Amino acid sequence: MPASVEDRAKTGSSDVGRARGLHEDLAAVLIGAGLVILALAVTWAGRPDGDRASRESHPKGWPTPLAATVGLPGTWVDSPLAAFRDGSGRLAVAPVALGMGWVVAVGTLGAVLGGGGVRRFLPGGALLAALTCLAYLLAAQKVVKFYNLEYPLWALAVGLLVGNVGGVPRWLTPALLGEFFIKTGLVVFGAEVLVSRLLALGLPGLMTSWIVTPVVLVSTYLFGVHALRIPSRPLCMTLAADMSVCGVSAAIATGAACRAKKEELSLAIGLSLFFTVIMMVAMPPAIRALGLDPLVGGAWIGGTIDATGAVVAAGESLGRDVGEVAATVKMIQNSMIGLIAFAVAAYWAGWIDRDASGPRGTLLGEAWRRFPRFILGFLGVSLVCSALHGLGPAEALWVEGATTGFTARVRGWLFCAGFVCMGLQTNFRELAPLLASGRPVVLYLLGQALNLVLTLGMASLTFGWLFRKAVAP
Amino acid sequence: MTGLAPLRRSPAARLAAAAALTALVWCGLLPWVLELGPVARHVALMEARRVDPSAMYYTELERLPLRPAWVDDVLVLWPSPW
Repeated sequence: MPASVEDRAKTGSSDVGRARGLHEDLAAVLIGAGLVILALAVTWAGRPDGDRASRESHPKGWPTPLAATVGLPGTWVDSPLAAFRDGSGRLAVAPVALGMGWVVAVGTLGAVLGGGGVRRFLPGGALLAALTCLAYLLAAQKVVKFYNLEYPLWALAVGLLVGNVGGVPRWLTPALLGEFFIKTGLVVFGAEVLVSRLLALGLPGLMTSWIVTPVVLVSTYLFGVHALRIPSRPLCMTLAADMSVCGVSAAIATGAACRAKKEELSLAIGLSLFFTVIMMVAMPPAIRALGLDPLVGGAWIGGTIDATGAVVAAGESLGRDVGEVAATVKMIQNSMIGLIAFAVAAYWAGWIDRDASGPRGTLLGEAWRRFPRFILGFLGVSLVCSALHGLGPAEALWVEGATTGFTARVRGWLFCAGFVCMGLQTNFRELAPLLASGRPVVLYLLGQALNLVLTLGMASLTFGWLFRKAVAP
Repeated sequence: MTGLAPLRRSPAARLAAAAALTALVWCGLLPWVLELGPVARHVALMEARRVDPSAMYYTELERLPLRPAWVDDVLVLWPSPW
């Protein structure tokens, strides 16, 4: 007998964080940090001999033996079977099956640490991994992939469809550890958020990111709360971060930091992906029409389009030079996620979540009590990997190899599984009121308009004039 | 039509119908869209440039972004205060 969405919402479904076991945040930090340590250790042990520091030989870092333990479905056109073929056309299901295995393994470990039963988790965990693979498969279709309709959208869609149309069998509910998968994925994600990347384009890059992004983030949030009177502050913050920083990844990090509801995170991600496709198609002709130079045009694209892949696609359609600048500016914005998530979590713990009727303590003590610990794990992993990355060229290739070859793929599986769980636990009817008012869409559009104007102004000022070298006559 | 009513109420039948519709769109409609001129040109350009537009984060790109060398020729990255 399938459990209704309402039943699941009332009873909750997470085995992680129950009284007998570790708190969910601590379990996420331990498992996430363990995965990053494993990646770094195995990559170091398998480091290449000879030209270790040569970026020409290892453009994405040292190859890691762990890459063979996690794969993703490949691009396909009309037959999903093609997604499971290797470069030579042979059927190679094992890498994808191993990726699914990581979802089951992390979920099982989470259930054990949380005091839940492995036997209760495993049957549902296997189905969850299969649904996660299905979401990846939908995202790997060539048109979908090349128009940046990323896997979180399909993971939510698969979950919503199965949960609302077919119903969720009771044996699946112990595996619906959505928040735990997202939190663990975020801690693993910390390894990719390298603070040193912030300096990639010097002072002009810093000014474009560190002045425009926070201004747009804060003004969009305040406009949503005070002018549009959107009742949910977490929704305003998630939308603002999603639109001003870097799309889905920023929405996941800030949504978790301010405890946004799953419906709110779903809405923010849906809006971001919808408008990203429009901007990816519309911005290149606009830049051509305005006659912007490559640096300014690239910085404008990088600072405004939400998703990294769409930024590079839009930039490259104007030329290699525009694509390179756009990608670098977006990477600088990407690197801000850790600090922004930390600031949002601190603001929420210190001000928004304060309980006036509760026992009085010092502000710092109260904030610490409410602060989401997994954000500390996320930031800690980010700072340690940034420090390692900054030690030298060889160490940079070490960290990049561990992240691009292993942790990025594992956190992709974990995020995807988390979104499938969210979809399964969301009722279509809960999304309706959010959409019906239209105010989140207005907030996104106005925020993005401000972002477009300020970023163009700042890019023209810094990249086009202030830091421009004098041209020899 | 009344004979179809129990089927419409069955969650399994509704899920199967939704799955069939999804398969039709993904395996029939989207491959057709791929053949359309602007879409085909966009995909061909991205493939030629080795760009993965579905990347969520810079680490998922085929090439990690690095500051292009030509930027140093046109931009003062760290101006001296003096």
